[in-house]
Amino acid sequence: MTPEPTVPDALRAEDGLPVLDISQLTVNYGRRQVLNRLDLKIDAGAIYGLLGPNGAGKTTLIRTICGRIMPASGSVTIEGQSNHKKSTLRRIGLVPQEIGLYSHLTVRENLQAFGRLSGLSAAQTRDAVKWAEDVTRLSERHGERLDVLSGGWKRRVNIAAAILHRPALLILDEPTVGVDVDARNELHEVIRDLTHSGMAVLIATHDLDQAETICSSVGFLRNGTIGPAGPPQSLIDAEFGGRTVVIIELRQPLNPSQRSTLLKAGFVPSNGEMTWSVFVEVGSTVSSALTAQLDRLGVSAREIRHRKPGLDTLFLQLTRKHSPELTP
Amino acid sequence: MILAMLKVMALSLIRDRGALAMAFLLPPTIFVIFAAIFSGTSGDELRLKLAYGSEVTTETATRFETALRDEPSLRMLPETLSSEAAVRDAVAQGEADVGLVLRGDLALAGDASPVLVIVDPGKLMGGAIVSGQVQRVLSGSLADIGVARMAPSIESLVGGFTPQQSAQLAAAIAQMADEPSAEAESGGLVAFETLQGRSGSGATVTYYAGAVAILFLLFSAMQGAATLIEERNSGIVDRLAVGPAGTDVVVIGKFLFLTLQGTLQVGLIFLVAALAYQVDVVEVLPVWLLITVLSAAASAGLGLAVASACRTKQQAQTVSTFVVLVFSAIGGSMVPRFMMPPWLQDIGWYTPNAWAIEAYHGVLWRNETLADLSASFLPLAGLGLVGVMVAILVSRWRLRL
Repeated sequence: MTPEPTVPDALRAEDGLPVLDISQLTVNYGRRQVLNRLDLKIDAGAIYGLLGPNGAGKTTLIRTICGRIMPASGSVTIEGQSNHKKSTLRRIGLVPQEIGLYSHLTVRENLQAFGRLSGLSAAQTRDAVKWAEDVTRLSERHGERLDVLSGGWKRRVNIAAAILHRPALLILDEPTVGVDVDARNELHEVIRDLTHSGMAVLIATHDLDQAETICSSVGFLRNGTIGPAGPPQSLIDAEFGGRTVVIIELRQPLNPSQRSTLLKAGFVPSNGEMTWSVFVEVGSTVSSALTAQLDRLGVSAREIRHRKPGLDTLFLQLTRKHSPELTP
Repeated sequence: MILAMLKVMALSLIRDRGALAMAFLLPPTIFVIFAAIFSGTSGDELRLKLAYGSEVTTETATRFETALRDEPSLRMLPETLSSEAAVRDAVAQGEADVGLVLRGDLALAGDASPVLVIVDPGKLMGGAIVSGQVQRVLSGSLADIGVARMAPSIESLVGGFTPQQSAQLAAAIAQMADEPSAEAESGGLVAFETLQGRSGSGATVTYYAGAVAILFLLFSAMQGAATLIEERNSGIVDRLAVGPAGTDVVVIGKFLFLTLQGTLQVGLIFLVAALAYQVDVVEVLPVWLLITVLSAAASAGLGLAVASACRTKQQAQTVSTFVVLVFSAIGGSMVPRFMMPPWLQDIGWYTPNAWAIEAYHGVLWRNETLADLSASFLPLAGLGLVGVMVAILVSRWRLRL
């Protein structure tokens, strides 16, 4: 069963408006409808993961929230105020996917510049820079030029530059692209810390593992609207129930007959059709029977393993439902 | 906020050694090279290389060759060629700039053009210069030959000389041959005077100080304005677009920085011009500063308009190179506009180069006042204003894409 495409009430602040409230939003590019009657709410302190394949409309949605694209219909409010107002847009902090900073400047010089450019006075900027350096754990590197920092540190500065004016809504577009696992985990900590002050966070990402780890709620953007949406584990449970995934890693590509047989049996390919997965009930002992069946088919498996389904599995499942080329 | 943008651009420039050298080292260097080249070609330091040939072996021919070899403005090939064909070959092979053949007796009237000047089509001006030098030699060192060639014509006009007049004329011609300088120094039909401008330097140096200044203002402005595209592509503009700064602050900040950078850049060029070539800027500093600020603003506006209209940095580089080179060529930054055909001179007025060069030359050479120069200020100020407005509007529009 697919959950409703809204954030559950439990995630909203009890007595306040959601920080971001998008209602029935429709955006067209010429005759093409990119967003279609989209609803989305994010409350203070929540981290919302916006998921979806390339071209699904994530960038369009972010630009619309930032007031750069006029919707055909619907509304976007931030803390109850329409995003048509300049003052409302100032409640947003945007972390672009690229490192949107000045590479010849030091960490602190960058933060000072963006502090002033976000409308803070010199004194306010001084305090804001100190706070942002502390919360993103940049203090020890504040004197270093950006072009000598590693990708993970640059990403931290990228975030720090967006929070200097203490926005109510922080939008992060692919915040951990190109960073190693340790740096990614540290960035997750930084993002979590930011929500402790009540900041609402919207993360647009392809990294489903990241979304599952850090987001209090996620939404899949497909066909111009969000659905399914909800806390990651709820979505996984709703889609897969008590089932688990059996994953087969192949030694060599399948011939057409083998491929057709696996597809008919409900297997889903990935990794250039060198990995195939299928759902089975938890507790079923399929490995030995499966191995025997694969032997009969002449399929040479390098590895067969079981795994609990995650958001990546859900994403594949949703994608498969909309991929005509994956029919047997 | 604009100050913050200025500081960002200043720090970025200071820490980028390549850009710093391009902005402040290259322009004075190029100016010095231009000044060294063009102060020579337009002054009395120009010395053409001449291939000389003679098909006659008379005493006047020898005197003519000697007089030419004594002429300081000519560098004659050491060898005297024996035929017109040999001289033609020397010019065609590039061994000499101009060829000169003596193919008849200078003293004999009736011989049509005993002196032939052969010139490469690419050096036509050299031919005119050598022709003038030959005339000067004939009316100076060889004035007797000139008189001797004219005597038969005068004799026929007056109905013939008496024997006494013929004897006196022959004696006078002989005396002129013995004392050529006495006649030559007494003054010819045409006198020559070189005007002195307000500045202690040559007009060409003053001209090229302005010409190089506007050329580099355009180059630097285009390069600096291209950071607008970098900021757009790196997400900086996206980030700022949600804040109070917006793209307007980015564009205006860059405009002010590029104007300031351009003013410093031109200041360095004219500092070198003052120190090396005695171009006197100090006395007209306020007007010079106004011209410089307006020229820098015009370049900054144009650069930002181009950068805002281009999608990629590569596209901007292509467009800006085209714009700068074409503007500089027809605006007089490479070759003075008076040397261009009239229609091209007219087109030149549509470039900031022409207005800036005219203004600099006006104040530094022609001693023009602020009122005289106001006609140059309007197009420069207008271009700067229109350019920055276009950049603001296009940048706003791009945010909506």
